[in-house]
Amino acid sequence: MSAHVESFSYDDAIVRKFLWATFIWGLVGMLVGLVIALQLASPWFNFDTAWLSFGRLRPLHTNAVIFAFAGNAIFTGAYYSTQRLLKTRMFSDGLSSFHFWGWQAIIVAAAITLPLGFTQAKEYAELEWPIDIAIAVVWVAFAVNFFGTLARRRERHIYVAIWFYIASIVTVAILHIFNNLSLPAGLLKSYPIYAGVQDAFMQWWYGHNAVAFFLTTPFLGLMYYFMPKAAERPVYSYKLSILHFWTIVFLYIWAGPHHLHYTALPDWASTLGMLFSVMLWMPSWGGMINGLLTLRGAWHKVAEEPVLKFFVVAITAYGMSTFEGPMLSVKSVNSLAHYTDWIIAHVHTGALGWNGFMTFGMIYWLAPRLFQAPLFSKKLAELHFWIATFGILLYVAAIYSAGITQGLMWRAFDETGRLAYPDFVETVVRLIPMYWVRVAGGTLYIIGMCVFGYNILRTWMARPKTYDVPVVSAPKLPATYVDPTPVPAGAGLWARFAAARWHHRWERLPLTFTVMVVLAVVVASLAEILPTFLIRSNVPTIASVKPYTPLELAGRDLYIREGCFNCHSQMVRPLRHETERWGEYSKPGEFVYDHPFLWGSRRIGPDLARVGGKYPDLWHVRHFEEPQALVQNSIMPSYAHLGRAPLDFEGIQARVDAMVMLGVPYGDAVRDAPGQAREQARTMAEAIAASGGPAGIGDREVIALIAYMQRLGKDIKQAPPVTAEAGARP
Amino acid sequence: MKLSDVMSAAGLSGYAIVALLLFVIAFLAIVVRTFAPGSAARHARDARLPLDDDEPGPAVRAGE
Repeated sequence: MSAHVESFSYDDAIVRKFLWATFIWGLVGMLVGLVIALQLASPWFNFDTAWLSFGRLRPLHTNAVIFAFAGNAIFTGAYYSTQRLLKTRMFSDGLSSFHFWGWQAIIVAAAITLPLGFTQAKEYAELEWPIDIAIAVVWVAFAVNFFGTLARRRERHIYVAIWFYIASIVTVAILHIFNNLSLPAGLLKSYPIYAGVQDAFMQWWYGHNAVAFFLTTPFLGLMYYFMPKAAERPVYSYKLSILHFWTIVFLYIWAGPHHLHYTALPDWASTLGMLFSVMLWMPSWGGMINGLLTLRGAWHKVAEEPVLKFFVVAITAYGMSTFEGPMLSVKSVNSLAHYTDWIIAHVHTGALGWNGFMTFGMIYWLAPRLFQAPLFSKKLAELHFWIATFGILLYVAAIYSAGITQGLMWRAFDETGRLAYPDFVETVVRLIPMYWVRVAGGTLYIIGMCVFGYNILRTWMARPKTYDVPVVSAPKLPATYVDPTPVPAGAGLWARFAAARWHHRWERLPLTFTVMVVLAVVVASLAEILPTFLIRSNVPTIASVKPYTPLELAGRDLYIREGCFNCHSQMVRPLRHETERWGEYSKPGEFVYDHPFLWGSRRIGPDLARVGGKYPDLWHVRHFEEPQALVQNSIMPSYAHLGRAPLDFEGIQARVDAMVMLGVPYGDAVRDAPGQAREQARTMAEAIAASGGPAGIGDREVIALIAYMQRLGKDIKQAPPVTAEAGARP
Repeated sequence: MKLSDVMSAAGLSGYAIVALLLFVIAFLAIVVRTFAPGSAARHARDARLPLDDDEPGPAVRAGE
């Protein structure tokens, strides 16, 4: 019986749209990155403007390069390759269009709200709840379109690239939903339902796996499709790709806690994260080797073909970052690297090298096919490659040096047993030259991006008046599958297992395959999450730890709005140099009312966990006005606007009410939060004025922020012994 | 009795090792399954899927 042959065409218009979005948002995201790099080299580049300050722009940079640049690159490659691998047009052109415009609208919403200070304070999950809902809706539309395409495919076997897309789509959905569960306290304000240790755990379960399932697995899918296309030979080992896939899916989801070593996270979770991170070496390097060896017998093409040059460096960068990631997850290494620029260098090896170069290589390969015109200039593509490669090297060499310098200076003791660099700003000043080298490296990368854009633009300008739409033919899949090589009768269970029939069966059953992926992800996640949430001894309560006052809560929200957590941690690790510098190490029970947790991941400025009472209120007033007047060589921007902006006392009630709904025992404040806040602000403002400070700041935002900072770390100083038996707060 | 009582009393100090062992076993199963003999031809065919999409080549400049 001959199969019925059907004719159809691919939707390349949507691929072209995503391609342009990749370039435009990539350029925007990288330019914002350059601005914040300049801000670290000199605070002058904050321009004394609130919405241009580092704390507000840093999340814009990370969101733009991850979700706008890399996101659109993923969609470009996935829409192109999925249709061809499955031999069918996308399930719905309408859903494709909705996905494209919806995603761009989300990016615009992020670009507006983040500089205005609307943030959830969770890294890579900063966007507020209405945008989170929009992301979920658009992602579901993408998923429906993708799985609908799978259902209508004309190729029985699902190629390994599609497996990686499936894992990415379902896992990102799970991560996004569970990390963003929050209670709205206004149109663009919410508090996560989790607090303290549990919030930190959820955040880094999400954060690490956002790297895994947004910046790694979809790009691996692209690698497994576009590398063979560019090299004109099949992937080196299909078997290795199967191994690569399942081990990545099994292992990655466990690794998140390595972001929280030596914090108040329970030690068992931290160890578990480390073990699984170390195991990730195997699949990651297996995948890298598989990618590079796809060029077997074709290495001579690398010298002539810029696409292959980009791919080779991209896969090498993948290998480097996935070697370094497990190494950084080892606790002893992590104790040096955590909170330093080393992590920034690690991230940029992956982002600029792996994600950036995979994207550039893919688009150079796609552009002549999508625009149906020859690439404008191969020489310009070569130029782009060398400029960007040199830019990456400059960037990471400088920032690795900065990170290691910083880590070593923090932990250095002199011969008398005292901290060798007790003044934190000394460790900042030492990095400034390296920050300027980073600016140079980043500038080169952006110049390369402009060359890339010009080359693609000129290629597009040479397009035909109307695009040719090739008609493709493929036989329709028969309703029933007949295995061309059936297992011999009586072969037995072992023979069936060894012959891998079961897996090959999954490979043509996308629903079963997807369920297996979801199971791997969910089981691993629950195995880590449930004990963290349910074992009481994980979060021993501390009797003296009380909720923030309404004014302190308002101040905490300002701390979040200004993005202070992007530069300041609130977590003293139980390491001698940390306790010498900052004071008593942080305990899990200190954070039970922290919705969200604000431990931070970086110390551009000093840790603030024990800052309460360290300086008088007036010091803070002056410091916010002009940091350099009190700390010479500080790179902190001025927050003088906080002394001018009126504090919204009436708005505090809704925030207290939301906290009460989350279980924070607020007592009388439930009835009169604004009144209590006004009273505390008035008392503080009078004391500041009496000590020679400015008068009339009792109704300004700065008073709330000072109230919050003066509270930090104070409760523990009055603490009775920790009581594990008291149990975690429900 | 609450779930938190059960979990708190479960003594999960060796949990990391148990999880490690489980996933090493899963990994070994995948290795055995993947590298078992008899599936080479099928995998070779699967690996060629990206190259079999009958796409026209890229546009080239005259004379190239």
